[in-house]
Amino acid sequence: MGGLVSTMGIALGALEAQQAGMEVTTNNIANLDTPGYSRERLVVEEADPFVQNGIALGDGVNVTGVESLRDTLLNLQVNDEIQQQSKSQTYVNTMNQVQTLFPDDTTGIGQSISAFFQSINSLSTDPADPTLRESVLSAAGNMASAFNTTATQLSSTRQQLNQVVDQQVQQINQLSSQVAALNVQITGAGTSSNQSTGSLLDQRDSLVQQLSQLVDLSQIQDGNSLTLTTQQGAALVVGGQSYALSTENGSDGTQHVFSAQGNDITGEISGGELGGTLEARDQTIPDLQTQLDSLASGLVQALNSANAMGTDLNGNPGGNLFDPVSGAGAAANMTLAISDPSLIAASSDGTSGSNGNLANFSAVANQAVADGETPSDCYADLVFQAGTAVENGNAELTASGAMLQQLQQQQSAVSGVSLDEEASNLLLYQRGYQAAAEAVTAVSQMLETAINMGAVESS
Amino acid sequence: MRISPETSQLVLNALQNLENSEQQDIQQLSTGRRVNADSDDPAAAAVEVNLAYQMDSTNQYLQSISDLASELQTADSSLNSAGTAIQQAISVGVEGANGTLSQQDRTALAQQVQGITQQVLNVANLTYNGRFVFGGTADSQPPYQSDGNGGVTYQGNDGVNYVEVQDGQTIAVNEPGSQLFSAPGTNVFQALEDLSNALESNSSTTEDIGNAVTSLRSAYDQLTTARCFYGNTIDQLLSVQQSQNTAKIQLSAQQNNVVGIDLDAAASNLSNAQTAQNATVEAAASLNSLSLMDYISAIGAQ
Repeated sequence: MGGLVSTMGIALGALEAQQAGMEVTTNNIANLDTPGYSRERLVVEEADPFVQNGIALGDGVNVTGVESLRDTLLNLQVNDEIQQQSKSQTYVNTMNQVQTLFPDDTTGIGQSISAFFQSINSLSTDPADPTLRESVLSAAGNMASAFNTTATQLSSTRQQLNQVVDQQVQQINQLSSQVAALNVQITGAGTSSNQSTGSLLDQRDSLVQQLSQLVDLSQIQDGNSLTLTTQQGAALVVGGQSYALSTENGSDGTQHVFSAQGNDITGEISGGELGGTLEARDQTIPDLQTQLDSLASGLVQALNSANAMGTDLNGNPGGNLFDPVSGAGAAANMTLAISDPSLIAASSDGTSGSNGNLANFSAVANQAVADGETPSDCYADLVFQAGTAVENGNAELTASGAMLQQLQQQQSAVSGVSLDEEASNLLLYQRGYQAAAEAVTAVSQMLETAINMGAVESS
Repeated sequence: MRISPETSQLVLNALQNLENSEQQDIQQLSTGRRVNADSDDPAAAAVEVNLAYQMDSTNQYLQSISDLASELQTADSSLNSAGTAIQQAISVGVEGANGTLSQQDRTALAQQVQGITQQVLNVANLTYNGRFVFGGTADSQPPYQSDGNGGVTYQGNDGVNYVEVQDGQTIAVNEPGSQLFSAPGTNVFQALEDLSNALESNSSTTEDIGNAVTSLRSAYDQLTTARCFYGNTIDQLLSVQQSQNTAKIQLSAQQNNVVGIDLDAAASNLSNAQTAQNATVEAAASLNSLSLMDYISAIGAQ
């Protein structure tokens, strides 16, 4: 092939290629702010040359496709960091609420314990005084209700987290099924050649990123298909098939997470929002509850024995000040056993004027009542634990935030749309198109000349 | 290497960090506390729990000290007036031992002594806030009961109450009547009754009256000695009060060290953050002002 007509063919091909380039550039610009969009690039190649009279002549340009620019490894790293980030964020958000249950000074359990022992000291100055006795009783009641409130709020936080787990599992399932559907589309599109899969890949990347926010993911790329499992291997998506996680209430009263195969994977999930939720619900909060319960039962036991060592205002041996409690639920169930202030056994010699037994109450303040610690120290320890949980979460959050930011910058360096770059492409394609159009005009004029000469070569 | 074209996220993150830090500074400045949540400094928050407890205790000790001091002062000044009354009885007795007096005069003196006995009895049955302060721990009923014939018996006990007035220090806060008015061998009421009887009786000699005065003197001495308990305890309370007030100042300084803010540092942090914020905003504004896009129309027009 040769001659003017084929030259015209080359010029038209150039026009098409420049136009396609313009389309890709315009699409990039249009998606400048689209989340998850990876910039695309026109892929062109030289057409096979043709040989005329022993000379190989170029036959113009072929558009072979549109390439979406992404770095798979970087995407994996970003997703890993997102898992860590959203885990820490969820954990910190939850524990931030929990730590307010353990204030360090003028409210809460610590203050109520302090107020109780101060009321005992006050009563020791006038042990039969009804007002002072009443205030000991009310301080004891306040102490019980401070324990009740904190314990109740801890368990209701766990209840709320059960609902959160349900919601998160639903979201995971929804996203998994969307990924599976995209797997089908992408593998389908991949086989019918030249069809751009970029936008589908972008969609799937963005879904995987959303999944990474929820749970610790492991990804296996199988050709164009993506297999997703939890890091411990519970399948979520295999090819076009998604596997739904489920939740069920366990014997401990919390929602457990089960894989599609029916395995309890609650303890295995260590990343994403679900991981953060589970850590707070199943580790940190139960630890606080256990210590709170042991402080409550320790105090109740010590104060009950103090009361039992003395004589009340009616001359009878002291009974229980609080209903005995022990083990799990001790803090939630802490209740005053008496409502009559005269039943406080202040006396050590049986007379109403004696305050001798109050020393036994005061001694409890310096006695190891729980975990080898005094009541105040034990509560201080709770404050420390609650605060440290948030502090550590925050530190992880800051570290993974910085990491994530860096990775996302790298990701954007690969996939982000640069307006400057697109502007120069725009100029390039515009000029190319102009030049090709000039060529078409020139060839057309030459053809006209040739026709007028009446000598048209056969082609 | 290709540079990331997306600068807006960077700017946004930088601004958010700065705003967080500003918010924290403002919270610190407005509360005067560096530790506003346990997580701000868990170790400091834990220490603060115990410091707050110590502060509460110190305030309670001070309250108890002030309650006790006023009770002890009342007791002390009442005992003082009882002492004066007994001294008066001793003078009366000395006067009665004078041989020139008629029986009528002595009977009149005996009546004076009985009046004094009543005064002393009132002191011995002193109540404070409804409690009989000289009855030991059996303080719900009058410790001294008159039999109507001048005889007075002690119904109280020897019980002593102790109150903690600072960590680890308890002090006795009452002296039972059995140490003051009716100590073994030196019973004030017995001595007063004996004196009164000696003055009233026709058969008693000036020597009998003198003997009665002597035993009243020794009862008086016992009362005066035992009464020192109150003065000493009040002194002790005042000295503990002083040290507790000092402790309170120290605790407050300690609390400020642990959870309080360094005002200068917080204010300068805030102003640094604000400066950085301004700089970031300005940098962000200049970042996007240049783009090749601006030149395309110019080139196209050529």
